[in-house]
Amino acid sequence: MAQVLMKDLNKKYDEVHAVKDVNLHIRDKEFIVLVGPSGCGKSTTLRMVAGLEEITSGEISIGDRIVNDLPPKDRDIAMVFQNYALYPHMTVYDNMAFGLKMRKFPKPEIQKRVQDAAEILGIQELLKRKPRQLSGGQRQRVAVGRAIVRHPQVFLFDEPLSNLDAKLRVQMRVELKRLHDRLETTAIYVTHDQVEAMTLGDRVVVMRDGWIQQVGEPLELYSKPANKFVAGFIGSPAMNFADVTIADANGVVWAETPGLKVRVPPACLERLRPYKGQHITLGIRPEDLHLAGGADPSEYTFDSTVEVVEPLGSEILLDIKTGPNMMVARVDPTVRVKVHESIRLALNPERLHFFDMKTEAAI
Amino acid sequence: MLALILPALVILVAFQIVPILIGANASFRSWSLFNPQKTFVGLANYRRILADPLFYGTVLPNTFLFMLASVSGGLLAGLGLATLINRRFRGQRLVRTAILLPLMVPPVVAAIMITWMFNDQFGIANVILEALGLEPVAWLVSRWTSLAIVIGTDIWLWTPWFTLLILAALQTLPVEPHEAARMDGAGPWQVFRNITLPLLRPVLMVCITIRTIDAFRVFDIVWTITKGGPARSTEVFSIYAYKQAFVYLNFDLGAAASMIGAGIIMVVGGVLYKVLSYVVEVSR
Repeated sequence: MAQVLMKDLNKKYDEVHAVKDVNLHIRDKEFIVLVGPSGCGKSTTLRMVAGLEEITSGEISIGDRIVNDLPPKDRDIAMVFQNYALYPHMTVYDNMAFGLKMRKFPKPEIQKRVQDAAEILGIQELLKRKPRQLSGGQRQRVAVGRAIVRHPQVFLFDEPLSNLDAKLRVQMRVELKRLHDRLETTAIYVTHDQVEAMTLGDRVVVMRDGWIQQVGEPLELYSKPANKFVAGFIGSPAMNFADVTIADANGVVWAETPGLKVRVPPACLERLRPYKGQHITLGIRPEDLHLAGGADPSEYTFDSTVEVVEPLGSEILLDIKTGPNMMVARVDPTVRVKVHESIRLALNPERLHFFDMKTEAAI
Repeated sequence: MLALILPALVILVAFQIVPILIGANASFRSWSLFNPQKTFVGLANYRRILADPLFYGTVLPNTFLFMLASVSGGLLAGLGLATLINRRFRGQRLVRTAILLPLMVPPVVAAIMITWMFNDQFGIANVILEALGLEPVAWLVSRWTSLAIVIGTDIWLWTPWFTLLILAALQTLPVEPHEAARMDGAGPWQVFRNITLPLLRPVLMVCITIRTIDAFRVFDIVWTITKGGPARSTEVFSIYAYKQAFVYLNFDLGAAASMIGAGIIMVVGGVLYKVLSYVVEVSR
């Protein structure tokens, strides 16, 4: 049980600057998720915490110890790898007991801890098997078991669910969350899957090109993305973007682009004042679009053509075109629309996002 | 189909099966240049070989000692070298090439070089000993120093082969179990002992099997360095059989010795093969 502190953390390979000035305070018992596209530096950051990669500059401390120069074995952390990384020549029991044996635990204690972990994970019957005799989900359980028997200060997860099929992934996700609630150990979890990030994390760290983009609670990232990248990365289907011009007509401010003219809600007027007459990016989440009804004010509706209909059962995704802009709308499954049909859509004025064109920062 | 395998079959039969049968036939007869009758004598030749104190007292112990020492020496040296060069460092390619050089030296040439190095009057070994203020040694006049030199030569010749195979195996080993072990609290030696070595076991076992069978029939370097001497004390199996057949012209005894050798190596090979299959099975 410990907090983890990263201070001005940098990692440079010969040509690549993989991690740039990462500052992060992970609180004790917190479940934090690093998320981002591949190559964003999330795994490298995790491996630096693990001690598997050297730190180019900066500082990592676990608990109150600076661990920069400590080998992995002295950091009191445990890691679960994407491809399980089980010891193929050892039984499940030996796999889980290995770390304890290396640390010279007495035999009865090892036995007890392995039994306990096996019970928690429901793998008691598998203890005598070899990894190759296990299914993917079972292997992942063993990998988790190997981490929890050690009672480490911090758990590290490196895309642990990526090798599982979709159904198993959802199931293991829930189990990992339950496990964390039960063990109350600080956990750092790396994934490229934003759904995993949102569901598992107490807080989520979004990374891109080695930079931290935003740190926040899942819903905060969703409702108040710090920039266009976070806005587009979190949420599925992704947020719609359109380049609009801010124009003032008779005291009413509009965000305009061909095919789309939206009144800037009064709440945003102050923030958008410096951008009058300029181009900015408008962001609308697919779920903030719906088929326009009589009650929707005309300044928040627009016409569009349906290009693709994707019925998902619980909802329908409409790929629509308005002017030159392609957007996705997430509508009620009872809606009946056909391809090439012209429809009128309304948007939720309280849920509009605006981003600076140059810096991509949220306005 | 038959037409396609026929050429290979003809060659196999003409140059392998038939000679083996002729040899086997010879081992049951009194077969020498001055006895054109080739009388059938049953197992008499076998009895003579097995009762020969030289055969069971010197030749077989030498052969097995050579097998054991040469294979384990080469294996250990190869494992050590492969582990050392299995990392990034400056001049890595150069070192790898240098290590592989002995593979390109014909065994006979190497053996001649070694013979000169350990020559009691002109050899570099004695020059060094004298420079250190020690008495020069007549290396090739005693059984144990001669055997040691022969075994050392064989290890030198074969270490690159072990290195090459083990290095190739090392590079295909998965990284993650090693990293996991490091996180699990294992130091470098423990990682090597508990993870690397067990994962290498199948390859090591293949190396051991191939080289053991190969070492049993060693001829060239022993013949070049000692000719089985001094006083036949460093004779190994193939030299013994060769001398019987082609030096003393006892074709029958030579054939019988060869058959006995074939029997021994079949048993040794069979056991090794069983061990190999077991090792591959448990470390899969």
